[in-house]
Order: sequence, then C-alpha cells, then structure tokens
Amino acid sequence: MTIALHQLRRRGADRFYPVLSALVALLMWELLARVFAQTYLIAGPVEISRYLWDHAGLVARAAGITTFAAAIGFVLGNAVAIALAVAAVLLPSLARLISALALVVFCLPLVATGPILRVIWGPGLGPQITLAALAVYYTTFLPLMVGLRAAPPSWFDLVRSYGRGRFSALVEVRAMASLPYLFAGLQIAAPAAFLGAMFGEFTGAERGMGVLTIRAMRSLDVAGTWALASTAAAISMLAYAGLGRLSRALNNGPPPLILAPVLEGERRARWRALLHPILVTLILLAIWWLSMEAANLSPFFAKRPADVWAFLITAPEAAAHRATLGAALLETLVLALPGYLLGLALGLGLAIVLVLAPKLARGVMPVAIALRAIPIVITAPLIVVALGRGPAGTITIVALMIFFPSLVACYQGLARTPRQVLDLFDSYAASPLRRMASAQFPAMLPAFFAAARMAVPAAILAATTAEWLATGRGIGGLMALTASTSGYKMLWSAVVVLAAVAVAGYVVVAQIERAVLRIYGAEQLTR
Amino acid sequence: MTRNSISRRGFLATGAGGVLAASFGASPARAATDVAFQLSWLPSVQFAGSYIAKSRGYWNDLGLSVSLNPGGPNAPVEPPVVAGNALLGISAADYTAAAVAQGAPFRIIAVAMQKNPFVIASLPDKPVNVPKDLEGRKLGMALANTPVLKALCSLNDVDFDAIEIVPTQYDAAPLLAGQVDCLLCWETDLPVAMMMRGIKPVTMLMADYGYALHSQTYIATQDSIANRRADLIALLRGEIHGWNDFHADPDAAAALTVDMFPDVGLNLDAQKLQAALQVPLMFTDVTQAHGFGWFTDDSIAANIKTLALLGQDVSADLWDRSLLEEIHAS
Repeated sequence: MTIALHQLRRRGADRFYPVLSALVALLMWELLARVFAQTYLIAGPVEISRYLWDHAGLVARAAGITTFAAAIGFVLGNAVAIALAVAAVLLPSLARLISALALVVFCLPLVATGPILRVIWGPGLGPQITLAALAVYYTTFLPLMVGLRAAPPSWFDLVRSYGRGRFSALVEVRAMASLPYLFAGLQIAAPAAFLGAMFGEFTGAERGMGVLTIRAMRSLDVAGTWALASTAAAISMLAYAGLGRLSRALNNGPPPLILAPVLEGERRARWRALLHPILVTLILLAIWWLSMEAANLSPFFAKRPADVWAFLITAPEAAAHRATLGAALLETLVLALPGYLLGLALGLGLAIVLVLAPKLARGVMPVAIALRAIPIVITAPLIVVALGRGPAGTITIVALMIFFPSLVACYQGLARTPRQVLDLFDSYAASPLRRMASAQFPAMLPAFFAAARMAVPAAILAATTAEWLATGRGIGGLMALTASTSGYKMLWSAVVVLAAVAVAGYVVVAQIERAVLRIYGAEQLTR
Repeated sequence: MTRNSISRRGFLATGAGGVLAASFGASPARAATDVAFQLSWLPSVQFAGSYIAKSRGYWNDLGLSVSLNPGGPNAPVEPPVVAGNALLGISAADYTAAAVAQGAPFRIIAVAMQKNPFVIASLPDKPVNVPKDLEGRKLGMALANTPVLKALCSLNDVDFDAIEIVPTQYDAAPLLAGQVDCLLCWETDLPVAMMMRGIKPVTMLMADYGYALHSQTYIATQDSIANRRADLIALLRGEIHGWNDFHADPDAAAALTVDMFPDVGLNLDAQKLQAALQVPLMFTDVTQAHGFGWFTDDSIAANIKTLALLGQDVSADLWDRSLLEEIHAS
C-alpha cells in the first residue's frame, strides 16, 4: 500500500516537473523580452498571446495554407524517398547511381531553385509543394537506406533457403527492420517540410506564413514575427509528436541482434571505382540538359551545362569568374565546416547524455525540436544580432540546423541496441558508461554516419541561407545578388560548384564511415 | 510565344486569374484576352494602381483578363517576362539594364517611380541630412547595394572609404537598436515601419542628390512590343487609369489594397502612410504635363549617367516611349 502511494506520488511529481520547468522558461522568456523591449528583437509570451488573440483568423488562415502545402510536399517527398530506397535495394547495381542523384538534387540551393520553380509552375502552390518535397526526401531516404539493411544476415539466408528472392527479402525482412529508421527520418522531415513551404512562398505568394513573416519583419512587427515563429514551431512540434506516437504504435518489436561478418576488403575492380563517378556525372549532365530542353526553359535564366563550362573555363574572363566564385566559396566553407563539426558533436553528445539520463530527455527533446522548428528565416537574423555579423553567428546557425537531425538520428540509433546485448552487460553489472561505450555507441554508429552524411548538404544549405538572409557574404550572398541582377551564368556556376563540394564532402564522410563500419556495422556494407 | 499557344503554365495562370476575378466580383468578360502582369514584390499599396484597374474593371472594359502575379524576396521578376509567361513586368532601370546585358530583349515602356525611392534613413539625434554627413557613420545596408552607395558618393564628392558599411538584413531594427547610425532603404517601407512605431526618422532622398534612376519601371520584350502591341497598350491604359484614381484618392487606394489582400496582414494606417509618401515619387511636373508613366529625354540622359556610375553602359535604346505616345495621342 505504501509502495503504491509512493509510486502514485512519484507519478504526480513526474507530471508536475515538466509543467514547472515550462512555466519557469516562459517567465524567463517574458523577462528577457521586457529587458530588451527597446531593441525590437524579442517579444515575450504575453505580447505573442495578445497578437495571436487579435489576429487569430489571419494566422489560422496563413498556417492552414502553408501546412497544406507542406503536408502535400511531405507526402510526395517521402513517397519518392521510399520509392528510391526500395529501388536502390532491389537493384543493387543502381544503388550508387540513385544515391548520387538523390544527393545532388538535395544539394541544389534554395536561392537558385526557388525562382526556377516559380517560372516553371507559375502562380499558385507549385513551388511551395515542390520545395517542401525537396526539403524532406533526402532526410527520409538516407535513414531508410540504413534501416533496410539493419537486419541480421541469417534472416536473409533464411529467405534464400526457402528459394525466395530479393522481393521477398524486402517484404519479409527489410521492411520491418527499416520501420524505426523510416520514422526517425519522417520526424526530422516534418519541420523541414514546413520550412520548405515557407521558402516557396518567398518566390511570390499572396498568403501563407512566409508572406506574413516577411511583412512582419519589415514593418518592425516584433510581436507578429514571434507569434508567427511560435505558430510555425508549434505546428512542427505537433507533427513531430504525432509521428512519434504513430511510430511507437506501429513498432513494438525489439531491435534484432545483428552479427555480420567483418568484411575482408573490396572485391570491386579498380577501374570500375574510377568509372563510376564519371558515369554519374555524365548522367547528371544529360538530365540537366534534357530536362531544360524538354521544359523549353528560356536560355536567359535556365543555363545549360555548356553555358557554365564556357563561363568558368573557356570564356576570356573565365579566370576572373573563377576567382570571384572561389573567393566566395572559401568564405562560406570556412564557416560551414566548423558549424558542421560543432552541430554534429552537439547532436551526438546530447544524444548520449539523454540516454544516460533518460529523465532529462523529456525536458530537453521538446526544446531541441522547438529550436529546429522555428524557421531559419527568423532565427538567422536573431542569432546574427546576438552573436554579431562575424563568423560566430553563421557558425551557430549552421550548427543549429545540423544539431537537431543529428540528435534525433543518434538518439534513435542508441535505442537500437539489441536487448540481448544490454542484458549481457546488466548481468555483469556493467556501469552505464561502460554499457554506452561498448554496446550502445557501436550500435548507434550506422545511424550516426547516416546523420553525418546527411549533414554535409544541410551544412552548406544552412550556411548559404544564413548568408543570403543575414550577412550578405560568401557564396550565398553571391547567389542572391546574381539572382536579382540576372547574373544567371554565375548563379548556375555557383550551383554546380556547391553541388560538387557537397558531393566531395559526402564522399569523404562515406570513406570514413566504410572504414569504421567495416568493424562495427558490417551488415551496412554487404547489402 | 504566340498569342494562341496554350501552355500548361498559361493554363495555370488563367486559372489563377479566373479565381481572382471571381473572388473580387469582377464580371467575366466575353472573349477577354488572358494576360499576366508580373509584380516585383508582395502585395501592398506599392501596386495600388494595378489593383484599382483590376477591381474597377478597367482592364475588363478593354478586353483583357489580367492576372497580377505577386513578387517576393526570392521571386523571379525578369524571367517570366523573358519566357513569355508574363506580358508585362515591374522592374527598375538598373535591374533591367543588367538583364539586357545578359541577353534579355527588354525595353522600358513606362516609369511608375519618377524619382528613385532610395533614402538614407537616420534618427533625429544623429541625422544624415546631406550626403557629406555619411562620412564617419555606420551605414546598415545589403552588401548588394554597394554600387548604389558608391554612385551616391561619386555624385556628391563623399569619401566612400570613410563610411563604415555594416551588412544588415532589410530591417529597421539595427538602427533602433543602435547598431548602425543610418540605413540605406526605400522611403516607402522601413521609414513607414518606424513612423508606425512613433519614431520619426530623418530621410535623405538620394534622388535629390543626383541619383537619377527610374524605379518601378514597366518592362516588356521587343517581341511583345512588336507583336502584342494592342494588348500591351490596353494593359498600360488600364494601369494609367488606375494610377490616376490612386492619385485622386490615395487613402481609398490603401483601403482597397487592404480589402483585396486580407491574408497578407496589411495595416490600413501603414498603407495610407506608404501611399502618401509614394505620391511625390510617382507624380511630378512631368506626369502633370504628359500623364502617368511618362519619361522625358532629359531623364533618360540622367539615367544613363547614373547607370554608368553603377558600372552599366546603356544607350537610350533601353527606353521605348512609343506605346505611351500612342496612348496619349488618342
């Protein structure tokens, strides 16, 4: 009886503490807003509530239309991601080509794709939906590729011993194994879709959260800006929580014990390794050229591969063009790289802390989601104001954008430690740290590396977006400038160079990953 | 693109236009020609003349069904006009010149802002009244506007290197937070935002210090000017009618704008203020004498000079007044 009462009281306290910490956070926020009222930077909860009360209809309509576009984009983008991942698994010979294409398309900067999509689609929701889909498909595709391989080799042997093929393996083994990874990807995708839809509105719209945000920021409407940011964050958090609930409902099975043989080195011929990137590049160039010709896009703004080649290589001023582009690129990379490493380290570090101290997770996760869900459009200028227009601001923005997906991926990865392994550690009364270092950390590595690969294009995207919206420097600033002054040759050259850099960074991470996973996650390399 | 070719985009544009027409209560015209007009920014009283022309049916009466495509911070303005998705677009002389240098066959066929709206905005306790005051000050601006500042400096013998440029977003907060002493912005947006918060900024109009550059210019391709002349003239005719109405009652134009775009979150008082500030930039002695949208040979010469300072060499061929001449002759 006393024990039951004690438990009851504890349960009450467990419920009480999050409420208390939320109240304290709101109070601090309000105080901060009051102290800095004269700077037109922060609005507190009271002011935000008043704005939302006064403009309930306006914000509801805007949220409705943006959520609608984001939701369609979310469904389409994820459907494409699933189709691509399934195709890559069923047709292993095409897997690398599909991965490369998916990566390059994800690397295309919003500053450049947005206006092109608007020209192609004309007025309406086209660009909003397309940008939302583009923002989500890769963050689902990558974890899904990991998940589809996260099954013990013995299960595949079993499928084979029944004389069944790849398709049966996909349905019977891979699909179930991939569910947790799929949902981790979907959860990351939810805020990204909303952001994509808002960016789409920047290309010319008459309604939506992006439209209201731009108007509010330009008219010193601090309460409006923060009310919109809070609304966007709330919608993203709801989507995140809903997907989390769905994931738990669908996925009750414990993670399997995966024991895969360590790989003994590559069997692939050297000439094929060399041929592959060339082949992928040629296919990409063909798609670029053919799609522009097929859509009959005007060569004034839709530059073809030959235009970029001439601009950077054969034109009389090509050296000057390369110098301008190179200097801007360097300026960006110097900030993107530290931001990348910082964001990844923070995501990994916090995921480990949260697993070691599960109580903390309940309080920290919502804050982490909120940080990611507040659109970068609003956070970027704030961070720049708080940290200055120097390197610290941009690095922080990049780190923040990467931190959240890394945290989610690592946290999910840590949770994928097989029960049998944990039981073994428990039976030896191993310390939580020991368990973390020897069991959970290795089990998380595939998910971590998926996050690290995913973060390469994300870092470049974040850095260029911060430059576009806040500092006006680097290759992001260059692209914004050339887009508004019809410098489309430079713009497309910048797109090509950025995509190439992202692919290069991705390949470097993938090489490190192969070396590490050869020992800790060999099942990821065999299939 | 010929008049009768119906592309998917054209179809979409028509659909949007139809929805707009229905929602604003305009009667569907019989056999009206569908045209798209690409605006350069989000809906506001900046384009009130067009909204008046649309809602009062001036274009319908001329046999046009016009869809007004909104702009935005990342919106393409010149490309839809080049591609033929929009018959007419709103640009500015410098952006048009840049596009022409990149191969776009544009002509400026009318000018809404006779005076360039760029100002240096500052606070009364540390005002910038004349260009010379900029020396030694921190100026917040988009880095992309550096050529604009350089042009102002060379026009007024100001030491460019003595100005400390702070890259900012297009936002008045850095000025109010004391991070910069002044801002390079449009007279009709950030200063309005400050006034709505009870702060009266000092604004120095760059057009008063030699920065002659047509803004909010109407652009069309040479092909359209030759082959879709009647449609262009009808478009401009309705537009001029709308802007004359705006001039007669700017407050009513502001109210109409707020009513037409309930989802943009416009504030009526701010729109009225913006409309009032916009009037002297759009309506001058030239428009008094020749009508809205007109431009003189003298102003073309002054624009060519300013564009040269911005590093753009153009000739008077960039402007084509023949459509306005046709409109005002009849």
